[in-house]
Amino acid sequence: MFVVVSLLALAATGLGLAFRRFRHHHPSSEGNILYAAVARDYTKWLATRIPGALKKPAPGGWAAWVKSFRVWRLPLFEKWLLACLYGSFAYLAASGFFCVIFVPRGLYGFPLVLHVFAGAIFAICLTLVAYLRARRFTFEPRPLALPGDLESVRRFRIPWGPRDWAKLVFWVFLAAGVSAAAAELLAMLPWFHYQGEVILLDWHRWSALVSLLAAIVFADLELFAPRPEAE
Amino acid sequence: MSTAGRTARRAARALTALAAVAFFALASASGPAGAWAAPGAAWAAPASGAGADLKQKPWDGNRTTPAHLIPLRDENDQLIVPTDVDPMPFSARYTCGPCHDYKTVQGGWHWNAMKSEKNGRPGEPWIWLDPRTGTVLPLSYRRWPGTWDPKVLRLNPWDFTALFGRHLPGGGPAEPGDEVAFPGADSRWNVSGKAEANCLACHNKSGRQDESEWAKQVLRQNLRWAATAAAGVGEVGGMASRLHETWDVADGPNLDDHEWAVAPSVKYRTVDFDSKHRYFFDIAYPPEDRNCLACHSVSPVKDARATSPVDVHTARGIKCAECHRNGLGHAITRGYEGEAAETGDRTAESFTCRGCHLGEDASGTRLVMPGRLGAPYPKHTGIPLVHFRRLECTVCHSGPVPDKGWTRVRTSRANRLGIYGVAQWSTDQPAVMEPVFMRDGGGRIGPRRLVWPAFWARTEGKSVVPLQPGEVETAAGDVLKCEDRVAALLAALAQACGENEFAVLGARGWLFEVNVDGGLDAAAMVAPEQGGTPNDAPLFWGTKKDGVISPLVPDFDPAAQDKDPAAETKVQATLEALATVAGAPGPPAVVVRKTIYRMAEGNLAAAEAPAELAGAAGAGWLVGGKFVPLASDFDVRTVAAKAGTERTLTEEQVGLVLKALAAPEAKGGQGGTSDLLYVSGGRAFRLDKAGRLKSGEAAGDAAAPVTWPLAHNVRPVQQSLGWNGCTDCHTADSKFFFKTASGTGPLLTKSVATKSATSLMRVGSLFHRVFGLTFAFRPFFKLLLAVTVIATGAVLAVFLVVVAGKLAGLIEKRS
Repeated sequence: MFVVVSLLALAATGLGLAFRRFRHHHPSSEGNILYAAVARDYTKWLATRIPGALKKPAPGGWAAWVKSFRVWRLPLFEKWLLACLYGSFAYLAASGFFCVIFVPRGLYGFPLVLHVFAGAIFAICLTLVAYLRARRFTFEPRPLALPGDLESVRRFRIPWGPRDWAKLVFWVFLAAGVSAAAAELLAMLPWFHYQGEVILLDWHRWSALVSLLAAIVFADLELFAPRPEAE
Repeated sequence: MSTAGRTARRAARALTALAAVAFFALASASGPAGAWAAPGAAWAAPASGAGADLKQKPWDGNRTTPAHLIPLRDENDQLIVPTDVDPMPFSARYTCGPCHDYKTVQGGWHWNAMKSEKNGRPGEPWIWLDPRTGTVLPLSYRRWPGTWDPKVLRLNPWDFTALFGRHLPGGGPAEPGDEVAFPGADSRWNVSGKAEANCLACHNKSGRQDESEWAKQVLRQNLRWAATAAAGVGEVGGMASRLHETWDVADGPNLDDHEWAVAPSVKYRTVDFDSKHRYFFDIAYPPEDRNCLACHSVSPVKDARATSPVDVHTARGIKCAECHRNGLGHAITRGYEGEAAETGDRTAESFTCRGCHLGEDASGTRLVMPGRLGAPYPKHTGIPLVHFRRLECTVCHSGPVPDKGWTRVRTSRANRLGIYGVAQWSTDQPAVMEPVFMRDGGGRIGPRRLVWPAFWARTEGKSVVPLQPGEVETAAGDVLKCEDRVAALLAALAQACGENEFAVLGARGWLFEVNVDGGLDAAAMVAPEQGGTPNDAPLFWGTKKDGVISPLVPDFDPAAQDKDPAAETKVQATLEALATVAGAPGPPAVVVRKTIYRMAEGNLAAAEAPAELAGAAGAGWLVGGKFVPLASDFDVRTVAAKAGTERTLTEEQVGLVLKALAAPEAKGGQGGTSDLLYVSGGRAFRLDKAGRLKSGEAAGDAAAPVTWPLAHNVRPVQQSLGWNGCTDCHTADSKFFFKTASGTGPLLTKSVATKSATSLMRVGSLFHRVFGLTFAFRPFFKLLLAVTVIATGAVLAVFLVVVAGKLAGLIEKRS
């Protein structure tokens, strides 16, 4: 079940984020209440995007893409802290989910040992990030002013933008990361019986899935989003 | 009589016949025979349909075992009267059969090896051990991997019974059908009778049940008498093995010979019979453990009985048969995972380790209700799940603790244990090792017992076909009899020894003397701690008395006037003793200081030694005018090389035997050595074109060790792997992973195969070394993880408190 849910959740997240971009590129679709028409347009849009995504990158394209990350422009400590966090998380997610989905035996051997070491690095980096950067992702309540006319009230929405989504998924990522680390720690302690170990393994997996989904959303909303130069 | 009268009489006869047919037809069609027949008729006619129904009658629910006060019947289904002259032995088929259908029982696990199609997980093979030819050959009718089908070696049921009947519970190959038993030219079934399935081997509760007696009776070919003797029902005398092949049990006692070729006979214990000739069997249902252990004991070689561990189940009072159950069909539950699916017997799921203790299979699927016989639910705290999915339970819980590597054990059937008497039955060989961890076909690792095969063979195409030891011995001639010749010399020389004096041979640092079995015992003459090496001492023949070794022929001057007469008496006794040696190359002679002593017409004759014997001294043989040593250099070299070891062959012997086997007369007119080999220690030995012995690989897996799973002894929890933590197995130098063992076999050689534990388990050696190293940092890793989890958790907690506070208005927004 975990594999099926993982695949569905990853696909849904990807499609959801793509849909957000589609809406960004086709603002006219926002007012369209015919879902079938929206779906048709979205599918067409996706179809036009896929060949571009599959196009072979130019020589040095990947390196240029990586060099373009904002993280390299941060101060030294922060730069390496985030690089370690992203790198360790990328390996954790790749090794864990690839083996769970495609390898019948699951994660084993040297990839497992590296997974454990990457887990330690990830846990340390996550803690430091929580202390150093969490303040940037706190929510500040803003006063709401309801419009006076009835038509405006009908169209009123609570102000909740991409930045707010990014803040939310940051905390979800943080919580899921801690949860995955805690599950692994508890599994290594001689406290739980066989069934407890089964639950802890499931707990670790589901936490990892949530953190992966949160990371994907966060990356799309925060890391790769166009920013003002001041940022 | 008139025609009308005859017609009327014929009509009357026809009507009577019709009525009789109708009567019997009705009788047989209308329920139990007992409804028509007199009381007890069903018992008197066990072969009838009514009798068969009685045998299949379901259990009535009573949990007691009925008193077995029953009439004994012989193999002709005749009642045995114990006071009769020369009564027959009882037959299980006709004594037990009336209530327990014999044919159904015969289909059970202990008897169906020759016919069964479903043989399940490999079990212990029968191991054909022949030390003289260096044969350690695993056999099984069940076609388990690594074993040879006895038919491939041209072993018929008679041969198989002669080899392994000592530990067979009768039946099976010991009770072949007439179409198999009687055409065999070498078989003596008509003399020995067949060994029927021996119900009492397992079910006799009496302390008189004697497996040693069974083995002796089988050795004497008293097969039809063996069960009677072993159960203590009667005393059996005589030996069928000494009777002429035309003797038949109906012939009765051998009136011509009361000393040697005495026909087997039984004298019943009449005290155990009642006045109706019924015998009281003290029956165990289920069987007692001691009856199982007669054939299924396994013990470490170096253990003393007093300190030998006991299976934890046995210690808790659980009997073997409480888990290894069976119905009338005797399809014993073997207790391995997957057995239920293989046999279709779903109850087998309850009797695996997981079924009994966890109630589930390896995938964690709930199968049955756990806790049978009070099995505790295991905690397994902190053990990662991979262990339960990739390892069998027995890895951590069964066999000797693998902290020092593999343990050498002896098993009842392989090492002939449990047979006691004047003769020594048990053997050190074959060398059975456990626990050897191996991966099975399903990808799970489990403990195994391991034996390295050793045998002579010829290759046929791409396959290897073993040769029978007898075939090899015949071709080898005297090459394999070095010990016999030296022992025969020492035994002959013993005749010249006084009271408490023994003849000895000192050679290459070893002192040889004859043991009670006629074999050679060797002891190191010069202890290494005393600065000597075994090869330091020269060869000499002597005598040993009270630990003092003296020369066989005392040194004296034959020409001296005052010579000690006892010296020449000793010389004469020595020559007379040597004259009794069978197959001596020539007459014996003793040379003392250029004087040669011989026996001439019963008298000691002394003469000056000819010039060509100037360098000779001591005892020897005169062959063509030359003085030849008592034992050839080849014999001395061979016995000295093997002294103090378990090896029974040298490379020199193997080379000579391979040449002998390659001789045209041994190969049926075809020469050449390329397709002959000897397998030992995991290597195959062949002669190259120059006639030198070379070792290499054998075709296929012929030289590979044969293994079979072990389940017992199960150790207590505190002695299980993992009780002390992960480092019970996961260290950089763990014996569990990094034990390397060399092949063992009868051949004295340095060319043996080696197997590492990781190669047998098919796991990465480098990975497990690295993984083992990580456990040195594991406590630090856990501490680090705990700190990060707590610290990050604190941030999360603060965040939640702040958000909740702001949403509730308890915390004001800062400007």
